[in-house]
Amino acid sequence: MRKTWIAGLALALPLALAACGGSTPPGTAGAGGATKAAGEAIKIGSLHPLSGSSAADGQQMDNAAKLAVEAINAAGGIKSMGGAKLELLSADSQGKPEVGQSEAQRLIQEGAVSIVGTYQSAVSQNVAAVAERNKVPFVIDVSSADAILAQGYKYSFRLQPSGTVLAEDGAQNLFDVSKAAGKPAKKIAILHEQGPFGTAIKDTFSKKAQSLGMTIGPVASYDAASVSDFTTQMAAVKASGSDVLMVAGYYRDGVLVANAVKTVKPGVNAVWGVANGAFDVPTFPGEVGAAGEGFFDSNYHLDGTNPDTQALMKTYQAKYKDQIRTAAVLSYDAVRVIADSLERSGSADPTKVRDAIAQTNLKSLIASKGPITFGPTGENEGAAPILMQVQSGKVVQTFPKEFAQTAPRYPATPAS
Amino acid sequence: MTEQIPSATAPTVAEGEGHTSSPRLWARVPWTRVAIGVGFFVVAIALAYLRAGNGDVVRQAVLTGILIGGVYGLVAMGLTLIFGVLDIVNFAHGAFLAVALYITVTMVSRLGVNPLVALFVAVPVMFLLGAGVQRFVLAGAMGKPLENQLLITLGLALLIDNVLLMSFGPNPQSVKLPGDTGVQIFGAVATVSRLLAFGVAIVLAALLYVLLQRTRLGTAIRAVAANEAGAQLVGIDTRRIYMATFAIGTACAGAAGVLVAPLVTIEPTTGELFNIIAFVVVVLGGMGNVIGALVGGLIIGLTEQLGALYFPGQSPLLSVFVVFVLVLFLRPQGLFGKAS
Repeated sequence: MRKTWIAGLALALPLALAACGGSTPPGTAGAGGATKAAGEAIKIGSLHPLSGSSAADGQQMDNAAKLAVEAINAAGGIKSMGGAKLELLSADSQGKPEVGQSEAQRLIQEGAVSIVGTYQSAVSQNVAAVAERNKVPFVIDVSSADAILAQGYKYSFRLQPSGTVLAEDGAQNLFDVSKAAGKPAKKIAILHEQGPFGTAIKDTFSKKAQSLGMTIGPVASYDAASVSDFTTQMAAVKASGSDVLMVAGYYRDGVLVANAVKTVKPGVNAVWGVANGAFDVPTFPGEVGAAGEGFFDSNYHLDGTNPDTQALMKTYQAKYKDQIRTAAVLSYDAVRVIADSLERSGSADPTKVRDAIAQTNLKSLIASKGPITFGPTGENEGAAPILMQVQSGKVVQTFPKEFAQTAPRYPATPAS
Repeated sequence: MTEQIPSATAPTVAEGEGHTSSPRLWARVPWTRVAIGVGFFVVAIALAYLRAGNGDVVRQAVLTGILIGGVYGLVAMGLTLIFGVLDIVNFAHGAFLAVALYITVTMVSRLGVNPLVALFVAVPVMFLLGAGVQRFVLAGAMGKPLENQLLITLGLALLIDNVLLMSFGPNPQSVKLPGDTGVQIFGAVATVSRLLAFGVAIVLAALLYVLLQRTRLGTAIRAVAANEAGAQLVGIDTRRIYMATFAIGTACAGAAGVLVAPLVTIEPTTGELFNIIAFVVVVLGGMGNVIGALVGGLIIGLTEQLGALYFPGQSPLLSVFVVFVLVLFLRPQGLFGKAS
């Protein structure tokens, strides 16, 4: 108990200090830190939801960004700039767009040459606008909404696959895996959270699935913030005779879905997550037990077959006594992208860093179809989801083959 | 303000120690309203049958709606008591519930006991916490403008959320009820933990009702709710009643927290989930009316589930707020409130 308190204090103090820093009058730090004194650390802003309902992911992401900075500094800093060290400025978005926006402004005023963040699409949308106005590059680790990069922004880049890619590949993976198993998916019931994320995934997924010859069964939406039970929706799925249940949602609701599946037994061949926030999270099988066995999730995911990723997983476990999540690995990658760009540009001028980021070609710690390269709109062209499944109480990579730790088990009728 | 929101039970204050005989209790049941309610319910189910075209789905929706409604009512009971007597919009109610959740988690993981055992710890602890909060934090704001108390409870909620975040970390936790399997009821299924939460909600509502109607403390509480100055004149120490009421309300949040622990993913912000629905239930049932909170909870639970059948693909909250607006329009004082 005492230890957790001390750890909590240790975590809170730097945050409080960082918050105090915000009261320095603007202008003293210059807009962007182009005039950098020799020997001064190069600042990178990390903007994540450290409190609020997404704090579990947000704190992990901030921790991973810190680990990346430490690793780069330990390896000699930015060599093209005389071994200049990096310094991470952490900020809390609280998951609120307006807080994220003002915190991004603050980080830039304090001299951040680039910002990493922010997890929620709505927050990223605002931060992207701030970055564009101030001409400071913004590397998005997690945020799926297509709209963020649809504005023609020059200073925003995204590491994770966009919502469109996630949904289309999710349908394609379902088609491939079910066909290979000799039980092609026919009728898909859909359960999605009602926000922009779940609705966009549902729309794109349905279109793609229909073009692949599947039919869409009952579609139900829910409010992720207040939903407390899914047994009625599950009874409707059961009555419709659908053979696959697609679920697009977050962690807490994902747990409720698993419990409802266990209670009602809808008799589907598979529960198929698309960019689901629960089914591929390490804590999920432990929380729901046998109820989650066999659940699939087609999602971006850390590459457990990559030795560098494995090393990061070990380091994180040793330092923070917790399993690193995919979102945090993306934050780690985002800092690496910025460090690599600083190395190539040899300058801490945000505009030059932006040009260098646009030329990135870096191997990712996330499972992807190629190295990180950014297209004209700033999307990571190497990004692609892979297929995970809960097998024997563990989340494992199953498809496509080059990332598979074991073969997918299909059909995987849950709770049978 | 207080004079305008007496509970439906307020008239019995005049009957002294509340020795209401059962025939009169029977006579006080608002039969027309009950008949209208049952009529609505039958029509709603018939419509759901037409829309869904499948009996299993409707039966499941009704069962789930009733069980969820019980939980909503359970959470709202403490809130409505505080609302009715102290005139405080207690935004910290969800946070208090979260404290009880973490008491349950800690007891189960450290001592390995059945989660229900945590009731015997959480309820007294939350009672004392509530008494302390009222005495040392809220007492100074009593009778001040509404926004003062509102801001204090909102701040309290933020404080509790973040202290929980600091001491327990952000990772989601869970509690399992041993032997928590599905039970078949009329072709629908429900888990043991949900049935249990529902059953205890009913028992708790009955206990609170008896406490308010048949004890000296309850009579005093109702007297303060009906007329604060009048209560002082007859020698009731209103400050103590405020403290006791807030403590009882918080203890209800404690009981609710223990009972919903097996049903939810436990995070520092979990309590907030119930806040909005609980306020809707309180207003719907009539402020300060414990039985109203329970019935209001059932109505909201059923509306949410059946509404999802009427409008598939739409937010279930749509129908909840349609019903809410309708009730506010037709009966601004709530279903069980007395017209002022």
